[in-house]
Amino acid sequence: MVALSVVFLAPLAVMVLGSLQRPLQPPPDGLDLWPDAVDWSNYSAVPRFMPLGRLLLNSLLLVVVAVPLTVVVTSMAGLAIVTARGRPRRWLVGVSVLMMLVPAAALWVPRVVLLRGLGLADTPLTVALLALAGTTPFYVLLFALAYSRIPTSLFEAATLEGLSPFAVWRRIALPLARPAAVAVAALSGLYYWSTFMDPLTLVSSPGNWPVALGLRGLSEMEAALYPIYLAAAVVVTAPALLAFGIGQRSFFSSVERP
Amino acid sequence: MSARGLWTSREWRLVSEHQTPLTSGRRPLIVLALLAVSACSGGPDASDARAAAPITVQIRADPEEAAVYRSLVTAYRDAGGGEVELVTVGRNDHLTRLSTAFASGDAPDVFLINYREYAPLVERGAVHAIGPLLEQEGLDTADYYEEPLRAFTYDDALQCMPQNISSLVVYWNRGLFEQAGVAAPKAGWTWDDFVRTAQALTTGDVQGVGIDPSITRLAPFIWSSGGTIVDDDTTPTRTTLHEPGARAALDAVVDLIGTGATPNKEQLAAQGLPEQFMTARVAMFLSSRVEVPALREQRGLDFDVAALPVMDEPTSVLHSDAYCVATASENKQAAAKFVAYAVGRQGQTITALGGRTVPSLRSVATSPAFLSPTRAPASSQVFLDAIPLLRHTPVTPSWPEVEDVIGTQLQRAFEDGVPLDEVLEEIRTQADPLLRQR
Repeated sequence: MVALSVVFLAPLAVMVLGSLQRPLQPPPDGLDLWPDAVDWSNYSAVPRFMPLGRLLLNSLLLVVVAVPLTVVVTSMAGLAIVTARGRPRRWLVGVSVLMMLVPAAALWVPRVVLLRGLGLADTPLTVALLALAGTTPFYVLLFALAYSRIPTSLFEAATLEGLSPFAVWRRIALPLARPAAVAVAALSGLYYWSTFMDPLTLVSSPGNWPVALGLRGLSEMEAALYPIYLAAAVVVTAPALLAFGIGQRSFFSSVERP
Repeated sequence: MSARGLWTSREWRLVSEHQTPLTSGRRPLIVLALLAVSACSGGPDASDARAAAPITVQIRADPEEAAVYRSLVTAYRDAGGGEVELVTVGRNDHLTRLSTAFASGDAPDVFLINYREYAPLVERGAVHAIGPLLEQEGLDTADYYEEPLRAFTYDDALQCMPQNISSLVVYWNRGLFEQAGVAAPKAGWTWDDFVRTAQALTTGDVQGVGIDPSITRLAPFIWSSGGTIVDDDTTPTRTTLHEPGARAALDAVVDLIGTGATPNKEQLAAQGLPEQFMTARVAMFLSSRVEVPALREQRGLDFDVAALPVMDEPTSVLHSDAYCVATASENKQAAAKFVAYAVGRQGQTITALGGRTVPSLRSVATSPAFLSPTRAPASSQVFLDAIPLLRHTPVTPSWPEVEDVIGTQLQRAFEDGVPLDEVLEEIRTQADPLLRQR
């Protein structure tokens, strides 16, 4: 377990140590890990290359809006699949799987056309609109799988008691599928924090871009300035790590059986 | 690093010196152009408003290059231009974003593109021929070098306005040359001189020369030895790399690789050629002007540029980007006004000082902004000397794909030792149908 942790932590360590190297040095011959003299100025240099504060705020806004929306939409869609019967159920599962097979690049143009037509193509929250469609059918199927382990009789009894479909979702299905909800929240949180292809094609103004796209631009820096890029990478990774650090107790408690 | 941080105070003085006379000199032309336009429609107020309408400009640039274009936009605004939203996109994402934007009708008003890539966009009707627009702005194309203008002429019309005219040169490390006791390269040196130099420089950890296996690197040698890349430069239908002239050039490169004077596959996988040059692992490499800013930033690296070695006839290959105006732009007049400024004396001085571009405007190319010997490479004149020898690769819609095919196959020959016959046959099989698709 410790060895596995080391393997996964190694890239983070390389990133942090690289961010402390002095810029404008010749590229190292090998993996020159330890900086001769620690140089913190790379961090203060990042805003000269991209409006870091603004892009971080855009990303934060994106995650805060898109993640809850994704959980709500996909959990409802998953319930619709599970409560359907016979052919419609098979059809809904089939459509979800089919949609997962569509290459992302095939959706870029239709999405831009649609959002432009609606006048929503250039806001910091444009990418969050993908959450209205569940972000990806995978999350819908994840919920459907989680719900399928709940006895159908429970949903039927609730309906017979006079609960509306919304109440069945809110009071029965969602609480019983909490591990799936946490997993979808974590996965979609990471997705919206790190996506750069969607904003590249969907969002016109650089001022509305999320921080991942700004970081993508910095990745093409000259080799001599790479420590500045790595400093930016640390700054962009830190909030995600921090969120996981804070949320890990509830994450693990939700996925572990009592 | 701000744009100002990239330049010395002397260079900034150069920009500002150019600004005053130029602004006043251009004014009568602009006024005339505006009067001419206003005579046709709407009156002067409407025309002024159109020329100052906000526009979006998409540029392919890495972060340091982006700072140069931000300076350009600021200078344009200060010179009385309209609002410009500058979108700088990384090299790998520029075409993705452009293609999506054009397909969805959300194109930027102006974009910068290489001549090897613009033909598909013209075929799709995405580019508005820029010639007449620039004429209205008073721009005279006679002030510019002809080769890039030819490369951006398609369907008998100037489609986009070139901002630079770079060419392939040999970058060489003065320290390693002195260490090996090898004489500096001279103009007109032959391929045999080049091979001997590379071999003499190959010692211990140092390799003599690095050449990327791409057609843009090999084209000048193919032309130099009397060969061609395709059967017809205007309307190509098949590749001709297997024919005697081209084959002789490719054989010569394979022989050079066989001497062990070039980095092997593992060395290339570990570090790119520019980085190997920076770390003095490669003494020479072939590239265009684009490498200059990164090499300048390497403390202790003493480098210069030299003309390409000659096989039979001296030639070089054009590297050029141009500003295009999108057909879908609703502010073409403002777009043209910006392009005229960017390729004008002030604009090109600003981009030349950035170090990456060889100006397409003759007066700036021959000015200290480009030729100043105080900043490496001392022999920038080499880029200008190559201009009369420049040729360009075919301008045809499928060229980007053809280039990919040729590059992939040449890499097999150069790095994996696959026989040239096999590779050239594969190029014909894959690339010829692409050319005939047009």
